[in-house]
Amino acid sequence: MKLLTATNRYYVLLAGLLFTIGSGLLYVGVLWALQREVEERLLQQRDYLRREVGRTGQLPGTPFEGRMQLSAQPRPEGLHNVLLLEPLENELEPYRQLTFRLQLNGQPQWVSLSKSLLETEDVRRLIMWLLLGVLGTLLLGVVLLNRWLARRLWAPFERTLQQLSAYDVRQHQVLQLPGTRIEEFAQLNLALTRLSERVAADYAVLKEFTENAAHETRTPLAIMQAKLEQLLQLPDLPAPAGPLVADLYAAVQRLARLHQGLTLLSKIENQQFAAARPVPLAELLREKLGQLEAFVEEKQLRLEVSLPTTQALQLHPALADSLVSNLLHNAIRHNHPGGLLQVILTSKELAISNTGPVLAAGQQPARFFERFRKQNAASDSPGLGLSIVQSIASFYGFEVRYEYAAEQALHTLRVVF
Amino acid sequence: MKLLIVEDEPALRSSLVEYLRQDGYVVEAAVSYGEAHEKIKLYQYDCVLLDLTLPDGNGLDVLRTLKADNSPAGVLIISARGALDDKVLGLELGADDYLAKPFHLSELSARLKAIIRRRQFQGQRQLLFQELTVLPDQAQVLVHGEPVVLTRKEYDLLLYLLTHPGRVVTKASIAEHVWGDAADAADSFDFLYTHLKNLRRKLQDKGAADYIRSVYGVGYKFSAE
Repeated sequence: MKLLTATNRYYVLLAGLLFTIGSGLLYVGVLWALQREVEERLLQQRDYLRREVGRTGQLPGTPFEGRMQLSAQPRPEGLHNVLLLEPLENELEPYRQLTFRLQLNGQPQWVSLSKSLLETEDVRRLIMWLLLGVLGTLLLGVVLLNRWLARRLWAPFERTLQQLSAYDVRQHQVLQLPGTRIEEFAQLNLALTRLSERVAADYAVLKEFTENAAHETRTPLAIMQAKLEQLLQLPDLPAPAGPLVADLYAAVQRLARLHQGLTLLSKIENQQFAAARPVPLAELLREKLGQLEAFVEEKQLRLEVSLPTTQALQLHPALADSLVSNLLHNAIRHNHPGGLLQVILTSKELAISNTGPVLAAGQQPARFFERFRKQNAASDSPGLGLSIVQSIASFYGFEVRYEYAAEQALHTLRVVF
Repeated sequence: MKLLIVEDEPALRSSLVEYLRQDGYVVEAAVSYGEAHEKIKLYQYDCVLLDLTLPDGNGLDVLRTLKADNSPAGVLIISARGALDDKVLGLELGADDYLAKPFHLSELSARLKAIIRRRQFQGQRQLLFQELTVLPDQAQVLVHGEPVVLTRKEYDLLLYLLTHPGRVVTKASIAEHVWGDAADAADSFDFLYTHLKNLRRKLQDKGAADYIRSVYGVGYKFSAE
């Protein structure tokens, strides 16, 4: 439920209740006042009659407006509501009746004075309609005004909310929130702007740290590699030392490659590859396959290629290169001698299949995409290839699917554009 | 052949100086931007090895000064900043080549030689080793003056080894130099053996001696001994 609806609901409930009670009280009050008016007249008439009868001993000749009845029988005295027949319209109509005793010619007489309440009824009806009309319009007006005002007043909040949902710290931006006269929203915007400034600053510091760490690591790696290479050149290096130094050298290389892979991953995550240009994938694949010819031949792989010219994709050249290389390297590396390597490009997807190790029952393909996940622990590869593929694909909104056909032990990686 | 090495990291600087001196260059070193600036203003170098991150300035400014002075020196950038932008900017400013740290010393030396070869118009543009002659401009190899037909990779292999006579060259550096990133597709460097075997056979068929020696567990060495 929207905040606006919720507040409006309470508002309408309260207003409705107050209006109902208010109208009721007003109605009763007006009615009471009108009745009092009628009663007062009746009492005045009674007093007048008493005075006249006391003075003359006769009932005055001039009849009153309204009705007067005389009765020799005792009747209950006081004020009553009665229905009397209206001779003209032959209908019963409400009257207020005052009955009292008069000593007339020595005989007690009961006089009933009646006054029509029909006028009061009309006034009452008028008041009721007026009340309903005015109060109803007022209520409706207030609800509408409230809703319109609320929309207007909440507009800065809605804008803030929109900006917040679109906020991405990786864009290195600080929130640009519009100014508002409402103090609470102004405070909210100020707090959010400060928060985003802090977040952006922290992010920049973290990124700088990562970059510095990355670049500071390269120098010691370069020193290690250079010294080991020099060590290998020593003329009197004992023969058994050679392989030891070479292993050390290979480990440094591996560290360097690992470092390179992680740097690439963090750069993709930091969206540092914004530039894109049309990359014809078929051409790129052909070029890469050409460079890999030696390795395909080395393993005597059966190469099945379908590379029709498709629409070029908008990619960063370095990422396109990395995506294709990692997929192909992966398919060659994990292939067995004499196996199959299939590269099929369509306008919708790139599918690279390779024969390889039989997938054990418990192995979860999703885990192949995890960092440092390796088929073979002894392998020199840092195990980042598929993570990089996954990362590049999701950067461009592509989907990567893994399929396994058990009868051929055929592993397929599909990049769906 | 005179080189200037601009590198603030002492351990790396000493390795570079020593390795390149053994290659027969006259090597000078500068440890800071200020020193590098002073040296290039005072002396002429054939090639400058330039680290971009210096304590007191940006290596790219040394490059800018060299270009502004119309210096004939070649420039090879060695940078720890792997950023693509640096590479592009460096090459746009007129650097001859760019090598990211960490690198193989043998790769550095091969690139340096390539730069010097490209820049040396008067000198003989050929490499000689006993009965072998390599003409890099035509990508041609002669044994006793007779051309040998080699594949592109075999030629690259031979040129790389020949660039480092008497030196142990690691398998990793050969693979990276000749095959680049594609070498990642191989499980091991065993594939080098096949290519070297073919190269040896082709050279020997033309009457050359076998100069490619295997160094157990490490790599190869091109040597007459």
